[in-house]
Amino acid sequence: MISFTFNGVELKGQSGQSVSAALLVNKERINRYARFSGAPRGLFCGIGVCFDCMLIINGQPNLRGCLTEIQPGMIVEVQNDH
Amino acid sequence: MIISHQIIVIGGGPAGLNAAKYAANAGADVGLIDSGLRLGGQYWRHTGNAEVDESMHHNFDQGSLLMDAVNANPRIEVYLESQIWSASVINNMIILRTKDQTFQTQRLIIATGAYDRSLPFPGWDIPGVMTAGAAQALLKGNGVIAGQSVVVAGTGPFLLPVAAGISSHGGNVVGVLEAAKRLSWAPKISVLIQNPSKILEGIGYIKSLRKSKVEMRFGQAVVAAHADEDGLLESVTVANIDKDFHVKSTYLLKCDVAAISWGFTPDTSLAGSLGLKQGVRNDGSVIIEVDKDQRCTHSHSEVEIYAAGESTGVGGSDLALAEGAIAGLATAHSEKSSSQLRKLRHRAQKFADVLLQVYPVAAGWKSWLTPQTLICRCEEVTYQKVREACEELNARSARDVKFMTRCGMGMCQGRICTRNVSDLFDSEDHDRILATYRPIITPITLGELAQEGLL
Ligand SMILES: Cc1cc2nc3c(=O)[nH]c(=O)nc-3n(C[C@H](O)[C@H](O)[C@H](O)COP(=O)(O)OP(=O)(O)OC[C@H]3O[C@@H](n4cnc5c(N)ncnc54)[C@H](O)[C@@H]3O)c2cc1C
Ligand code: FES
Repeated sequence: MISFTFNGVELKGQSGQSVSAALLVNKERINRYARFSGAPRGLFCGIGVCFDCMLIINGQPNLRGCLTEIQPGMIVEVQNDH
Repeated sequence: MIISHQIIVIGGGPAGLNAAKYAANAGADVGLIDSGLRLGGQYWRHTGNAEVDESMHHNFDQGSLLMDAVNANPRIEVYLESQIWSASVINNMIILRTKDQTFQTQRLIIATGAYDRSLPFPGWDIPGVMTAGAAQALLKGNGVIAGQSVVVAGTGPFLLPVAAGISSHGGNVVGVLEAAKRLSWAPKISVLIQNPSKILEGIGYIKSLRKSKVEMRFGQAVVAAHADEDGLLESVTVANIDKDFHVKSTYLLKCDVAAISWGFTPDTSLAGSLGLKQGVRNDGSVIIEVDKDQRCTHSHSEVEIYAAGESTGVGGSDLALAEGAIAGLATAHSEKSSSQLRKLRHRAQKFADVLLQVYPVAAGWKSWLTPQTLICRCEEVTYQKVREACEELNARSARDVKFMTRCGMGMCQGRICTRNVSDLFDSEDHDRILATYRPIITPITLGELAQEGLL
């Protein structure tokens, strides 16, 4: 098991999992808020194509949660583009 | 430092793996590049934990043998987590860039595969609505079941492994909704039966679904999704549809995930950057055109570009494997005969063509849209805006619609919506938007550009 934080809360994931997958296991479905409407978005294509899973990871925005492997101590935050 | 290889293969799925293997066995020095964390592509996506992977896959043995052979081959260098974001031909050399590396070669094989075809409908941007491929990638690549109560919907044989995978690993599949009629494949049985392994695979999934008491419904589709107060999926509207995809009646189904796939769309983005000839298939998908040796048409002298697998047309893993092998031999200028491989390719191609006929997507899906339905998820362009561009602003082509509305100009670079924009713009000449030259195929950060000395 790996510990990471999402919006400041400590969560657990399995090593080898993507950030989006580890979030889903913890019932966290929202990765970002859309720019104009502010509507929530989550994992959609799951393979790096759609960019709907973008999150802020260790301070860096626009990273795709479905392509980023979860690491111990990773700081993950929802990305609010609104 | 620029990394050079005699042959570079982009994409480590069935097509790219086999291309690399055949080219290396013919004596070439090969670089195999993939954006993913592990080799395998979509079909052999895996967690890296052998026990989990065995249980998730049909036919994983074949995949692990091929991946082991590629990894062990001293003539093949594998580069993972390396998304090619720019491709161009400069001074008779193909130059490829990832965010931190530059590659060069004179012989390239493109094996970038495909992604799920998505149709827009009201609520398709609600978290919990995802592609069937996403649900499959969560399971096969992460060992994660997408939700607590999952609807699997759309059309085509791919719905079966997705639903069977979820239910046989303890997930609750509340329904498999196939848009085609029951036994729609029966008239084509004579072609299908020539691929007995695929038929048996399908029967295996159906048995597994029966065992888990999962119901399969035909002639139905998800036409709207509804969110709870937190903005998360809580139910979908399911419609009984006619053969044109028009709604006859509806009912509500509770679920927290709707995994939907309308077949696949080839990833041709590199073809645009490299100026490769593209074509349009019967189902309206844009493909990279290749000749019998999997060679692409382009105007660059001195360099050779081939393509294999689903970027040349969707057809499943057997077809991708055969195309990859043929491309590998041709690119390595091997004397070895590929006549047996050509037969395999022909058979798999016929099978794929028949599946497209048996599981069509009819134009009536446009009647599911409301004015507020998003067409472009990235730029949040609504159906109303697209209609205005067509009717009031007199857009003369799907491409005009794109520039007037910004449809397809967001982060995903049009991968999700371009095909739908082409379909919504009904022109008599069935005008399609092809992949065009984009200096950057995948958005990268300004920091990465600066590192490259490009800013
Ligand atoms: C999400 C998803 C799940 C699927 N699951 C199954 C399944 O379970 N069973 C089944 O029979 N079929 C499945 N398919 C169908 C699948 O497309 C084919 O079976 C088969 O994998 C196609 O092989 P391929 O080699 O042509 O492409 P793929 O297997 O798609 O491989 C293409 C590879 O190219 C890489 N790539 C693409 N662009 C770039 C780039 N710019 N830079 C670097 N790398 C790049 C991708 O990361 C990928 O690994 C799935 C398809 C999708 C989209
Ligand atoms: S879910 Fe589509 S890019 Fe991650």
